[in-house]
Formats: sequence, structure tokens, C-alpha cells
Amino acid sequence: MSRLQHATRQLDNIFKHASLRAVVSTADRTSLLSAVESADNVSRLSEIDCRSLHGRIILVKDNICTTQLPTTAASGILKNFTSPYDATVVKLLQDAGALIAGKTNMDEFGMGSHNIHSYHGPTTMGRIGVEERSAGGSSGGSAVAVATDQCWTALGTDTGGSVRLPAAYTGTFGFKPSYGLLSRWGVIAYANSLDTVGILGNDVDSIEATFDILNVYDSKDPTSLNLSTRSRLSPRKISSSSLRIGIPLDYNISTLSSTVREAWKHSLQRLQERGHSLHTVRLPATQHALSAYYVLAPAEASSNLARYDGVRYGSRAKGVDGTPESVLYAKTRGEGFGSEVQRRILLGAFSLSAQAIDNYFIQAQQVRRLVQQDFNRVFQTPNVLVDGSTHSENEGVDVLLCPTAPTLAPQLSEVENQDPIQAYMNDVFTVPASLAGLPAISVPVDIAEKDRQPKLKAEDVRENAGMQIIGQYGDDKLVLDVARELTEATRS
Amino acid sequence: MIPSTTRTTLAAASIRPSTHHSCRCYTSCLPLIKRKIYDRPLFRLLHTARESLKDDTPFRKALKDAAKKDKKEKREHLNRPSNPAKLRGPHVDNWELTVGIEIHAELNTVQKLFSGAATSVNQAPNTHVALFDMAFPGSQPHFQTQTLIPALRAALALNCDIQYRSSFDRKHYFYQDQPTGYQITQYYEPFARDGYITLYPHDFPPGSAHPNEPVTIGIKQVQMEQDTAKTIQQPPSTHLLDFNRVSHPLIEIITLPQIHDPTTAAVCVRKIQAILKAVNAATAGMELGGLRADVNVSIRPRDKQLTDYQHSYSGVTGLGQRTEIKNLASLKAVEDAIIAERDRQIELLEGGGVVEGETRGWTLGNKSTKRLRGKEGEIDYRYMPDPDIPPIFVDPELVDHLRSTLPRLSDESVHILTNGNQYNLTPKDASTLLALDDGERLDYYYDVVERLRARFAAEPAMEARIGKSAGNWVLMELGGLVRNEEWSSTRVPSEQLASIISHVLRKTITGRTAKTLLSMKYDGDERPVDQIIADENMLVRPLSDREYEELAKGLLEEKADMVRDIVEKNQFKKVKWFVGQMMARSAEGTVEPDKAEEVLRTLLPLPREN
Repeated sequence: MSRLQHATRQLDNIFKHASLRAVVSTADRTSLLSAVESADNVSRLSEIDCRSLHGRIILVKDNICTTQLPTTAASGILKNFTSPYDATVVKLLQDAGALIAGKTNMDEFGMGSHNIHSYHGPTTMGRIGVEERSAGGSSGGSAVAVATDQCWTALGTDTGGSVRLPAAYTGTFGFKPSYGLLSRWGVIAYANSLDTVGILGNDVDSIEATFDILNVYDSKDPTSLNLSTRSRLSPRKISSSSLRIGIPLDYNISTLSSTVREAWKHSLQRLQERGHSLHTVRLPATQHALSAYYVLAPAEASSNLARYDGVRYGSRAKGVDGTPESVLYAKTRGEGFGSEVQRRILLGAFSLSAQAIDNYFIQAQQVRRLVQQDFNRVFQTPNVLVDGSTHSENEGVDVLLCPTAPTLAPQLSEVENQDPIQAYMNDVFTVPASLAGLPAISVPVDIAEKDRQPKLKAEDVRENAGMQIIGQYGDDKLVLDVARELTEATRS
Repeated sequence: MIPSTTRTTLAAASIRPSTHHSCRCYTSCLPLIKRKIYDRPLFRLLHTARESLKDDTPFRKALKDAAKKDKKEKREHLNRPSNPAKLRGPHVDNWELTVGIEIHAELNTVQKLFSGAATSVNQAPNTHVALFDMAFPGSQPHFQTQTLIPALRAALALNCDIQYRSSFDRKHYFYQDQPTGYQITQYYEPFARDGYITLYPHDFPPGSAHPNEPVTIGIKQVQMEQDTAKTIQQPPSTHLLDFNRVSHPLIEIITLPQIHDPTTAAVCVRKIQAILKAVNAATAGMELGGLRADVNVSIRPRDKQLTDYQHSYSGVTGLGQRTEIKNLASLKAVEDAIIAERDRQIELLEGGGVVEGETRGWTLGNKSTKRLRGKEGEIDYRYMPDPDIPPIFVDPELVDHLRSTLPRLSDESVHILTNGNQYNLTPKDASTLLALDDGERLDYYYDVVERLRARFAAEPAMEARIGKSAGNWVLMELGGLVRNEEWSSTRVPSEQLASIISHVLRKTITGRTAKTLLSMKYDGDERPVDQIIADENMLVRPLSDREYEELAKGLLEEKADMVRDIVEKNQFKKVKWFVGQMMARSAEGTVEPDKAEEVLRTLLPLPREN
């Protein structure tokens, strides 16, 4: 099939699935198609690489700046905002010939696990007519768009699991690379020290092709990994036929649903059958990771979101705002931010306050360090970012395999009236890799026949659980390779 | 330590109108109190600097007057004990004042601290603004490494330890001039710590209660941080924002609370300002809003038995509750605000009250500080390490290089100008030269001296006189002409002044001629000095032997009675009178007294030795 045919179908799907609210703004269809057509002509002439991005339709999460389309971060305060510049990742995609067809829905500023906190309304996953399930968040729009073939790949952002969780809920692949590999210039900050641009796709190949284009040093991003450190990262792929796969026992929590646990066991068995060895490991700091994350991320968020005041850009509240005694935008911020964002700003402002910083922010940073040390202890390869990195006690593992989320996608009606803490719990498996800046991918694995829902089974809808592969810092290629291996193992 | 009686009298004196000299020396050497400080945040125009440039004459007059007054006061003090209570109200003597200072100075850099945009002073509003300066979503800070250089120079000049590792933090507060909602500063890990500044007697304005020994004040730390936008208010309700200034690099210098006198505080600020200029770390002083100060003030009883004073600031213990006075934009404001706050606290405590830890403001001309916000209204800045900015590591080799190439500081300059035979200036003249025209006058002076030395290279005997003579001409004679005009080192080029001075030293022109020449050059005569001298026939032409003889003969005949007194009554001293007459009756400089006496004695005749 030509790229024009793919593109036409995907653009049709954007229109067809508008009710899912996966896409919040779209580029002009005619000019997109004519661009794809010319890419097609080029490819016919020179038989270009199938991995090339030429003429590929890509959707971009709405917190990544684009000059051609608005960038709202799904917030009322940026509802009319268009960025004066393109994010580096957007430029790189365009330079590679990809076409940015639109922007995807998300939880406001990336804060949420079900994509219900959006100025544009919630994104929903509806595989069959009556079904309304959580798409996961915060990159829910990107995940649903990929799941419903509205694009080739989609960019998301992952701060504590925002790419992996929606991938797990929607049955797609969601990859969070190592922190610092993909540029954050032009990516609206939620929590800078955790924010990572991620990629969602229907297979590992498309994700890797997209990743290869974006995986370059960017001088505009002060946290972009410099060239000399990049050169020290081993371009490790699966070298031997036998991988050492770690099973983190601390992830086998009581709230893990049996369906997901079954899928995890099934995945491990299938990998073992293919000659890989399994090893249990302990990551004791994991139990504190979630609390640490929900201290650190809101702290950074409260700081990052202080700029939204409607003074220089963004929307302002109607009428007079501010008194001579107060700032000129108390009302503006009160109206512009949604409830979850306000909650996290207050949470962050508290944990940074003089009376609380020692007990919250500082403690959380210490937990973060412990989480990193846990990972460094179990991996076979040392962490290139740590001097004299503690080497694994005996023989370490190549990758870790664990579930992405404790459950399958919940019903939207369930989560809409949920206590916020319940929603935070969904990130329990994704947060540790975020705190440590490690590469991780969520791979859809079919659930056991007995666990399938009759209704979906009747409609022949595949049901799967997200399995997460976590690698040592910089082992991104290995993680992608293992994802391929797991896919083959579980589908055969 | 100064005896407390002297200190309190003089400290109190500075608030009395009759003792304005100690303030005037500030105004004459540094253009300060003429500034309307409340204009400061609105306009920072370069051209206003010039209007306030003063010549040295009033300064020198101030020095003299102040010295006189100083003596007089000391005399009066001895004769009759003054009545301090009446002059000062509260019992200043019973309380010890403690002051710490925070100084914010704009660094002299081409680029902003966190963006590639250029720094600017008075360009069109919002023309030097990068994406990050406006806090655009998704934009990130880029630390401009070269901004470290002037900051390091400043810290080295303040004798600080440069930290190998430092980092940036976010200080949060909402204000429309702060686009990100936080200021990036160095809270947890500043780049320099543990310095000090020494105040010498010559740093103090004449007439003030200066200590006899040098005073050392500790510098707790120096940190880098960004400036905010400028708000231009257009009443009644418009605020215009100019983002050119956002992220202009600043350094904040924090002293230890080791200052116990308002004048010392002002002198400390003035000296830090001078040091920053001397090492080219900052360009503009307080007069241009390039530097501003916050002071924290506390008092405690001199009777240390009282145990209510247990506050500790920066490791200094046993202090009273302090208050902070923000945003002082002139030296006078620093001094006056401290005096007013000290007196307010004394009055409060003596009246049985309690000093609240609060932030206060001061407006020049006011008698008292004004409460801005109390402890409960204190902003919690929620300091957080900036996750986007990696820590800075400073190579010790760079520090060594900067230390070895640091421009000469004023203390060293005063030492060189006054000690040894190099320049032979008085401390008074040396500090006057240093204080004038942002150091330009001193550069000019050095230039004149160099040129004179070249002219007298073969005459080592003259060398000792060059420095003093040049000082006199640069300060007094040229200074007298500059008076109310803008200083310019090119108006009378240094080579031309050197030419005039060398003629005077060689006695080839008269002093009066030299002054005339200087005026002509100052008023724009473009001919070189030597040509003017030739054109106008200004060279001294000594009398010939015959002319000496004729002049002497005429005089001796005219005053026959005096000749008799000399020859018959041996009143030899009257010869000198004739010498004087010969000089008076000839053109200036044409009669040498020795030669005249020789001629007279030959004619009288008289033996040589009487």
C-alpha cells in the first residue's frame, strides 16, 4: 500500500473517530495529502527505506509547541494559544518528511491518568459501540489515535507514566526513552526533571524509526544529553540468544489484578521457552517511589505553572483582575486552570514551603536517589551517568519485565467520581523508571482466554494487558529489541 | 573602636541640618542625593549621569570645611558636654546598632544570564527579549557562561572563596515584572563565600565619625541572579512592561551583620560600588539604578547582662530582633534609613514595646521608615533547585588567571599615590582623585604623570616633584575650570597639560602664564601649547647683566637713605628689600633673586657674607 493510501485512511479515521476526542486540532487535509503524494512520487523513484518518515502521518500531543497548530496543553489558560516557535522534536519530524496532521488530547498540562482532565473534554476509548473506557493519561489522545489508526505514530510525553499507561489501556506500544535523549525544547514543562518525550505506535518498528529521527543532541535543551556522553552509550541490541530477564518481586502487589498477573506470568513463560533466563530481583525503594513522585512532580509543576498569568500570552479572566494589594491575575489563574491542576499546584506549593520542604521535598529527593540505586544494583550494565557506579552484586539482569498498570482500562464512569489518590495509584509501576530516567516501553500482551469479556470477544476485539520492559540508562535499543522479542513470543 | 560619645555625637550629627557637610561630600563626589530615587524603577537613562558630575572644588572645600568643623566639634566636646538626649531624643548611647547589608548590582555583560539576548540599558522597550525571557511555554534557560567572568572578578575583589561547584535555584513570587513567576538565583549553593571588605579611614567622608583603625566587614556570600522586567506605571491604572531588563545578570552581595554605625554602612556600600567599578564587574552605580541595597537593622543594649537578645543572623549571635529595609537607592538613603530605623527601635524598646520582624520601606526625605509587611505577610519563596540548569563548575585555573589579572583596587591606588616617592600625593588629594568622574580623573592624572616622566627622563632630580605638581594641576587648576561642566579627558589632552607643567617646572613660563595657557586650551584653542607660547611670546626672558645693573642702580639712587642704613649702620637685611623691589618692578619671572642680590652687593659694595 502506498503512503498516500495509508495517509488517506488515517486522515479519514481522524474524522470518523472525532467523537473519541483523541485529536483536538487538525492541519489542512488537502495540503497534507498533496505533500504525501509528492513523498510517494519520490519514494517510487528512489525506492526509499521503509523506515523513512517521508509522507508518514504523525500526531503530536498538545503540550508540544507547533507554529502551524494551536498548543493548548488542554488548558483553559492556553485555549487560544499558538506558539511562536516549533519544538525541536516537531522540527526534526518535519525535516525527516513526516507530516504533523494534528494535535492530540491530553490531561491538562500532563496531569492525570485517565485523560478526563481536559479543557477539550475527555478522550474515551470505545472499541465497541457501548464501551466507554479510560484511555489512560495523560497522553490518552495519542494512544487512542494510534489504537484507532488515525496516524502512523504519535508523540506523547511521559512524566510518571503518561505514555506507557495509556498504551497499556489502549493496547498500543508506548515507549519512554532515557531522560535527556529527546529534546524538551518546546515541550511545555510539567515536571522538568521527569518530563520525557515518548512515542506511541502499533508496532516496535514504527516507534524505533521515529525514535531514531528524534534521538539527537539539542543545544537548545540544557538537559539534552551531550555528545560525549552519548558516545559512551553502548548501542546494545540483543547480542546473545539468551537474555537475563529480571522479575521485580516488589511489583507483585496485592492490588494487582489477576488478569494482569496472568498476562505477566504468561509473558515470562513464553520468554523462558525461547531460551531466556528469569531472575527474581528486589527493588525495595519501589514502595516509596509513588509517594516521592507525587511530591516531586507537583513541586516542579507549581513552579513551572507560575508563568501562566495571561499577561504576556494565554487567556485572561473577563473583567478587572487584581487589586492594588494583590497580583494582577488571581482570578485569571483561578478560572484558567482545571481542578486537578489546581490541586497539584497547591500540593507542590505546600511541599516546597518553608515548614514542609524538609519533610516532603527533600525526603522525596532522597527516595528518588534510592530508587536509582535500586535499579543500578540489579542491572548488568553500569549506569553511564553515575561515576564509579555500584556494580551488580552477582550477575545482573539485562532488562526488567513487569506490568505497566495494576489493572486493565477501567470504565470511565468508574474513574470520573474516583478519589484522586485512586487515580494516582495507577502510576505505581511506571513511576520508578521515571524517577530513575530509565528507558521503558509498554507492550500489549493478549490476556488469557478465560479473562476475556464476552461482549468484546463477541465483537472479536483483542484484549490485552500492558507489559513493561525497563532497561538500564541508555539501553534504549535493547529495550526496543526485547519488546520485539516479547511481541513475537506472546503472539506465536 | 571609637569612644561611644564621639560616635553617637557624630552619628546624631548627621541628622542635624547644621552638619550637612558630612553628607555633602557624598553629593559632591558621588552624584547621589539629587537623584529622585522614586524615579529609579521607571527611567534609567544614561544621560542623567552627566548632569551630576561635579568638579573637585566644592569637594575640596567640603573637605576643608568638614575638617574645620571636626576640630571645632572636638573642642566643643571637650569644653562642654553636649546634651545628646536633646539632640537625639532616644538614648542612642545605651544601645548598640547592628546592620547587615545586601547589595544588588547589575553585572557588566553583553548577554543576559539565561538567554542569548543582549543586555541593554535604554533601548526601545521589548526589543531585546528571547523566548525564555518572556517565559514562553516550552522554552528553557541557557546559562551564558561568560556572565561568570565579571561576577568572579567582583567576588575576588571582595576577597571571597570561589566555589568549585555552584547551582541555581528558583525563588518564587508573583509579580507582573517576573515572567516565570520565579527569580533564578543561587540560594543553596552560591558561587562565592566568606569574603571581606576593609574600610580605611580615608574611605570615610571627612567630618564623619571614622574609626582610627581599618574596619573589616565580612561578606557572607555573593550569588548570581536575574533581574526583573521594568514596570512603567501610567496612572491611574496602566502598567506598561518592558522585558528588556528581564534576566539581566545581577550579583547579590550579602555582608555579615558586623556594622555598628550608619555612616560605616553607607561607606561600605560606597566602597563596594567603587570596587565593582574598579574591577569592571558593574558599570552603573546607584545613581543609575545599577545598584541597590537592602539593610537589616537591629539594636541591643550595651549592657550585655540583658538576656532578651538571643537572635542569631548568619552566625552572629546575641542580637536583637531585626527588621529589613528594602530597596535603598542612594548612599544617603542607606545612612538615613538606618538612623531612622535605629531611633524607631530605641524609642519602641524604651517605651516598653517589642520590635517585630518585618519588612519596612524608606522614602528619601522621610523621618521614619514605613512598615511594608509583617512576619505573617512575609513571602515564603519556596526555594527549589532549578531542574533545567546544570550546576556550574569553575576551573581553579580560571580563578587564578582572573585573580592575577584583576585591575588595581582603590585601596591599593591610595597606597601607591601617597606612599613612597612615586606620586607624593596627600591622602586627601589621592582619595579625591579616585572619587572623581568614575575614576576617569585618576586615569587622566596617571597619563599626565607618565608624559611628564618621559619629558624629564634625563633629570632624576625633577622626578620627585612631578607627581605632586601634576596632582595640583589636575585637581586644582584644571578642576577649577571644569567646575560645573562635564568632565572630559580630551578637552585638555594630557600631553598638552604635561607640556604646560613641564614649562612651569623648568621655569620657562611664569605661573600666571601657565594658568592663562590652560584656560586657552580649555576654551578650545587648538594650537599646541608650544605654539601658543611662541605665537604669544610667553616665554620668560631673563634680564641681561646690563639690565640688572641699570635696574639696581636706579633703585639705590632712589632710596639713598636706606643705602646709608645698610652701609653705615650695617642693616644688611635691607638688601632683601631691594631684591624684592627689583623683582616687583620687572616682568614676572625675569628677575632671579640670587642674581639680583649679587648685583646689589657688587654695587653697594658689600662683602658676600653679610
